[in-house]
Amino acid sequence: MTETRTETREETQKETRQTPVRRPRGPRRKYALLDLAAPVLAVLFAMAVASVALLVIGKNPLAVYGTMFAFSFGRLDSVAAILYKATPLIFSGLAVAVGFRAKLFNIGVEGQYLIGAFCASWVGFAVKGLPAAVHLPLVVLAGALGGALWALVPIWLKVKRGVHEVISTIMLNHTAFLLLHYLIADVFMDKTQVIVGGAGSPRVRMPLMEPTALMPKLHGLAALIGVDLPSHSSLNWMLVFGILLAAGLWYLVWRTPFGVELRAVGHNPDAAEAAGINPSAVYFKTFLMSGAIAGLVGLSDLIGHFGYLDIDFPRGYGFTGIAVALVARNNSLGIILAALLFGFLSRGGLGIQVLEKVPMETYVILQGLIILTIVVFWEVIRRYVRARQKREEASADAQC
Amino acid sequence: MTNTTPVLQLQGITKRFPGVVANDRVTFDVGAGEIHAVVGENGAGKSTLMKIVTGLYPPDEGCIIFKGRPVAFRSPGQAIAAGIGIVHQHFMLVDAFTVAENVILGAEPARLGVIDPKTSVRQVSELCDRFGLKVDPAARVEDISVGEQQRVEILKVLYRGAEVIILDEPTAVLVPQEVEELFEHLMALKGQGKTVIFISHKLDEVLRVADVITVLRQGRVVGTVPAAEVTRERLAEMMVGRPVLFDLKRGPAAPGGVVLSVEGLTSVNGSRAVLDDLSLEVRAGEIYGLAGVEGNGQTELAEAIMGLRPVTGGRVTLLGEDVTNLSTGEVRRRRVAYIPEDRHRRGLVLPMTVWENVILGVHRSPEFSRGGRLLFRSILSSTEEAVRRFDVRLASVLAPAQTLSGGNQQKLILAREFRGDPGFILASQPTRGLDIGATEFVRQELLNARDRGAAVLLISADLEEVLSISDRIGVIYNGHIQAEFGRDEADPRTLGAYMTGARTARREGGSVAS
Repeated sequence: MTETRTETREETQKETRQTPVRRPRGPRRKYALLDLAAPVLAVLFAMAVASVALLVIGKNPLAVYGTMFAFSFGRLDSVAAILYKATPLIFSGLAVAVGFRAKLFNIGVEGQYLIGAFCASWVGFAVKGLPAAVHLPLVVLAGALGGALWALVPIWLKVKRGVHEVISTIMLNHTAFLLLHYLIADVFMDKTQVIVGGAGSPRVRMPLMEPTALMPKLHGLAALIGVDLPSHSSLNWMLVFGILLAAGLWYLVWRTPFGVELRAVGHNPDAAEAAGINPSAVYFKTFLMSGAIAGLVGLSDLIGHFGYLDIDFPRGYGFTGIAVALVARNNSLGIILAALLFGFLSRGGLGIQVLEKVPMETYVILQGLIILTIVVFWEVIRRYVRARQKREEASADAQC
Repeated sequence: MTNTTPVLQLQGITKRFPGVVANDRVTFDVGAGEIHAVVGENGAGKSTLMKIVTGLYPPDEGCIIFKGRPVAFRSPGQAIAAGIGIVHQHFMLVDAFTVAENVILGAEPARLGVIDPKTSVRQVSELCDRFGLKVDPAARVEDISVGEQQRVEILKVLYRGAEVIILDEPTAVLVPQEVEELFEHLMALKGQGKTVIFISHKLDEVLRVADVITVLRQGRVVGTVPAAEVTRERLAEMMVGRPVLFDLKRGPAAPGGVVLSVEGLTSVNGSRAVLDDLSLEVRAGEIYGLAGVEGNGQTELAEAIMGLRPVTGGRVTLLGEDVTNLSTGEVRRRRVAYIPEDRHRRGLVLPMTVWENVILGVHRSPEFSRGGRLLFRSILSSTEEAVRRFDVRLASVLAPAQTLSGGNQQKLILAREFRGDPGFILASQPTRGLDIGATEFVRQELLNARDRGAAVLLISADLEEVLSISDRIGVIYNGHIQAEFGRDEADPRTLGAYMTGARTARREGGSVAS
């Protein structure tokens, strides 16, 4: 996908004129190396800036970063933890990115995944007696449908009434959370919980999901390639699903007619409309797709780890997903890498807190800096590439 | 070269932008009290040069000598203070203010910090009298015509004491009568000792009004010549760098059956009717030219026909089928080609590649996709062929459309729209902003399509364009067709009278039937 093109300009032209049949690669492919260099440089730059913060609190940045890497990559359980933490972020990054491609700002992934998790949880405990091969897909489907359902209102309001999706999705995030509270604590609260030893209070959670609704762990797959995952790791097949989904979305966006429509509407809805594409329909489909993907965000935790939905279900994946998509510039492969980067920062942050006595906030600072620098670096490179292309066209004009 | 002393001398002005040299060692003198035209194609560097002269950009190299002394303006304010003012193509006026208020804006005569309205009106009417510029100082700008608004812009620079007045494409927005008046004003300014720099690419106008002409091509001065010693053909050749054919190949019209029929079309924008009971017919094998001052419903008519704007009354019929209020996709399926007036807004998706732009709209046809998958082999060979046929100059069909020049972008739209031999072509301002070469190309393609039997509706604000290739001409004013003419009955003055609304409602619909 990121094949590098090394032909010179003259060759490119000759090729264009003489051999019309070629697989198209995006215009950026030619500058793929720059694309890869930017994030790496940005991360290094961000680390350098964060060093200042470390020096201020009297820590040696080299030692801190050293520990961060050693802790994150020196232990198998750390690697598993990074992958596990990255899993929901892959989904949320993809959900945001697919919307971004059509210039739809789905800030509502946060609410959509909570609703998706609820729907999945409900199908997981209320439907009984099905084999796992049926039940599990049904649970995943319920998650997707729940997310899509929560995306339906904002996109309907946008297409029919011109309500900006940022406003409506932000508000629906709050609604989703409060609704979830009500559903978990009141309507579906598991009253059958036995309090061990008669002390304490029951967990505020929904009933336990059926074993047939749970996602198998990745230990078996890891064993095949000779890796012995620690038994306490919750790494599960949602990771593989997320990677496949990333590949599928890449194909959809770049290789299908719908992808052409999606990007055309995203870049210029007026021109798309004049060409005979119905922008409203594209917005509608894209946003529902974004919502459906968002509905899968919480599933790795829900059916890969907890097995029930409780009031403390992890939050914030939706917002981190925006950062992931931004850093990855909506590129599928980039989203996987960005999610891994965020997973690494979070795991490494834990490591330096325990081993170096550096406050956990360092990781937040680093994450913020990385987002900022990557975005800036990429903008700089984008302008450079644009100027280069202009020059090439200008010389093409002059030669003909 | 001139027999007067130079008031403004440009010496070796060079300006580079990333990837291009906009001005390359530009050197020429502008004599005091002359009308000096600067002509060149789009992208020849005229605008950049004027921005440098008026202090908007600093030159990379070279110097400007004004009244014998080197100057380096750092802002348009400094330039006007020194005596060089510019009238931009797009007016910069406050609509809700009066003429006098607009003129004094930014240089108000004030006493103790309070604006003195009487003095300002008096000063402005004195200026009007002195230079013979007819405009009511007390009128609101929103109520006066475009020609009058341009006079307000000229008054603004005169009020600030300009000795050199630069007019950037001043005739682009005017109807023929207004152009005449503008030229009289320029002569009057010259008579009063002012120097006028006239930026244009319309050669006939330049030859009529200018004393001296400087031709720019690709940022360089090709030559500075007295207007009396040069012909239109010679000027065009200097601009383009090769001889230009002014006469397009056009055979006699052979109109067939009615392809497009618009009956009583009405469309309302808010409370205003932008299309008012508009009717017209376009036949196979003819070009129907729609002339009119911009903003009289041309945009809305095109959008209504293409299904981009809801119609509140009337009917649009294509080949006998009612297509009123159908979606754009459904209209297009009837072999309709559409060249939108704004190629950046409606015509192309600039960040997307050339091939994507070429298949846009037909990307779901079996030729280009099957089973939800794009067929790149077919797409690329088809794109290459279209690009070759329409002579689109590009480095690669994989490059984004925004890397193409304006003329090549327009050719790209033609390449897309003319595929599959359209039966009806709606061409809206098809040559706007194009240079002579590209304009010639686009017009010839429209004529060729007509000769192949297509019905062409040409909407253009360029009267010369309408007159040069149309078989029939309608004039639109306030969303209504005011008059229709056969090719031979139309002349600029008559059309102009209908375009401004000075004359209304004349119908000669029958004159086409052959």
